[in-house]
Amino acid sequence: MTNKRESQPADPREIIQWTRRYAQSRTIYFLVQWCLIVFIICVIGLVASLTQQAYTAGNMSLFYTSVVFLAMTFFFFVWISVSHWTAEFVWQVTIWFYGREGFVSPEENNRSKQLPRWVIALIGLMLVYHVLGALLISFRYLQLQYLQPFSAVILVPVLCVLIYYQGLGFWAWLWPLFYGLHAILLLAGVPVGFPSPWYLLNIMVPIFGYGLLAILVGHIYSRYALWKLKTVTRQGLDIYSNDNDEEDVQ
Amino acid sequence: MAELDRLIHEPARLRILTILAGVEAVDFNFLLNTLGLTKGNLSSHMDRLEKAGYVKVEKSFNGRIPHTEFQITPEGREALESYWRQLDSIRNLNTKTEGKG
Repeated sequence: MTNKRESQPADPREIIQWTRRYAQSRTIYFLVQWCLIVFIICVIGLVASLTQQAYTAGNMSLFYTSVVFLAMTFFFFVWISVSHWTAEFVWQVTIWFYGREGFVSPEENNRSKQLPRWVIALIGLMLVYHVLGALLISFRYLQLQYLQPFSAVILVPVLCVLIYYQGLGFWAWLWPLFYGLHAILLLAGVPVGFPSPWYLLNIMVPIFGYGLLAILVGHIYSRYALWKLKTVTRQGLDIYSNDNDEEDVQ
Repeated sequence: MAELDRLIHEPARLRILTILAGVEAVDFNFLLNTLGLTKGNLSSHMDRLEKAGYVKVEKSFNGRIPHTEFQITPEGREALESYWRQLDSIRNLNTKTEGKG
């Protein structure tokens, strides 16, 4: 046997393992979706706040206008959630960001290609649920400081399903995990919330903060995984990299 | 003992197939960046793997930029697994021989 065998990786599973880990930790796709979700919640929050102010001030024309706007934003977000344009947009941003590193698709079972209809329906239900939450707050049936636990009831399972179907890495699960834990702590009376008049931050900070934390951890891990992958892949390869290869195996 | 598959035994091609075995698909840039080969060298390896039926190639355009995507075929996966089985048995044989010696 020539020394080619000595240049083979000792354990091929290491290359497979680090390729998978790297592919699953590329969180930019997650980041773009995170921005869309945050955008949805911000707009719903603003419109709900406008509706509440109009109702309190007795300005019925502004109130009806904001209710119509709320309905419009709801249909707009349903469209955003299911349209091919969104998928294409998220895809293009991901390709642009990872352009130099190249494209890698982590899943082998096409889970990420198309979301099942029940998942799309669940996303729609999540939107309706949040609009309902906004309306409950507007009409003072729900206190703003409890919007986060109210939101966590549906957002945590939706995020888990989305992460599973998109084949994202372990680090992406930090978002629903921390978001759910935050809700439990808040309900248990642990002082993790913001006092009045900063109640709105009780929903904004967990969504922005935990989402961003998961994405950053995933991104940092993807850098490490890529470095490890390059190291284990290139081990012993440099001496052959520019050879033409037909040597005898013997 | 059956002879090792020479096509896969080449270190760069072995690594390419191993990477492809871990994911659904990768593109040319990813392999180039990960393996640190030259473009010409990588192209030549991919041609050989494609001709052997071990890799499926899909060419498309991303706007005006050509995009080439690679996937391992079931034949490629089988060949890779068989290669590792053979290599493991050679290694075991060597270990036993060294143990006796």
